Amino acid sequence: MTIVALVLLFSGFFFIVVAALGVIRFPDFYTRLHAAGKGDTLGIALFVLGLAVYNGFNFVSLKLLLIVLFVFLANPIGGHVLSRAAFRSGLKPWTKKGE
Amino acid sequence: MLVQGGISMIAKKNLAREAQLKQLIVLPLALFIFWIILTGSFTTKSLIIGLMAALIVSRLCSPILYLPAAHTPGKSYAAFDLPYLKLFFYLFWLLGELIKANIQVALIVLNPKMPISPQVVTFKKPLDHPVAQTLLAKSIILTPGTITMDVGDDIYTIHALTKDAALSLAPLEGEGEMPVRVGRLFNE
Amino acid sequence: MITDKLLLTFLIALIVIIFLMLFRVLKGPTVFDRLNGLGVIGTDTIVVLILLGFLEKRVNMYVDIAISYGILGFISLVVIAKYFEGKGDVKP
Repeated sequence: MTIVALVLLFSGFFFIVVAALGVIRFPDFYTRLHAAGKGDTLGIALFVLGLAVYNGFNFVSLKLLLIVLFVFLANPIGGHVLSRAAFRSGLKPWTKKGE
Repeated sequence: MLVQGGISMIAKKNLAREAQLKQLIVLPLALFIFWIILTGSFTTKSLIIGLMAALIVSRLCSPILYLPAAHTPGKSYAAFDLPYLKLFFYLFWLLGELIKANIQVALIVLNPKMPISPQVVTFKKPLDHPVAQTLLAKSIILTPGTITMDVGDDIYTIHALTKDAALSLAPLEGEGEMPVRVGRLFNE
Repeated sequence: MITDKLLLTFLIALIVIIFLMLFRVLKGPTVFDRLNGLGVIGTDTIVVLILLGFLEKRVNMYVDIAISYGILGFISLVVIAKYFEGKGDVKP
């Protein structure tokens, strides 16, 4: 059980770090949203799942699972609301030079 | 409030009894389970308060839970009348796609040269059920290399990170895998 | 295997990540970039709160705080994004 929790914790943390690096490194808003929308959803879901496994089976773990479900449902919606607001404000996506 | 209530009364008439019943059961049940998890106690007092709160909240919400259909005029759908079993398997498939998407983003972010060529594509997928439209727009964000920019009049505007991602969702001929799957989920 | 030390390391690393996101919030260039950074900070804070609960041995309380923080953060992000829809300043 500890091994499972450790694997979940470390993989989740890896994806959270990747999401943060992506938000820093990508060239424009839409590409940054790729990193934030996907990386954060999976990273936090895995990390909190790892904490739930570590905690064992009780009401706190159920609440942690509730957080996983909430993040899985709400994070993509937040991303889409932002991208739609930007698109309707007329923000042009960045393209590679020469294309 | 009055106008909304009037619309929902008309909408209710056009719905099948089964759909209405499902709508009446699912939301209070979900709220009640949520209450039990949050309070964490099984005393009679707390259970009775939770049941009453769940019933009152779902009754107050009922006017906004009948959604007008996108294409058929006069028809409406109950928001909680969904194919739950199919939805469950679909979510597992979506989870697999999400893991694939994350590995792809990780490879791009950790690559010093950053091999991206962003582009905007559009595709058309007429769906009647409003929940199906929402599900498709939400799923696109979680699949490899694509995010939804805008949805309107059946046209989905997609921002893709690479050319392959754009082609996988909106191929030159036919439809991508995800719109077909969502359509099958709602029998459209 | 999972000790308080490991959880503390995760906690400090997450706080460093939150400061990195703060850099994105301050730098911009558009208002939507700032909002995106704020959203990431909000979701990361959920994890920070839960980890704090594990370290203080009072997960019971901190999990409730984390749930309400997550819901509030999501709702405020949606409301602010709706407000800026179609009238955000997109010049860098």
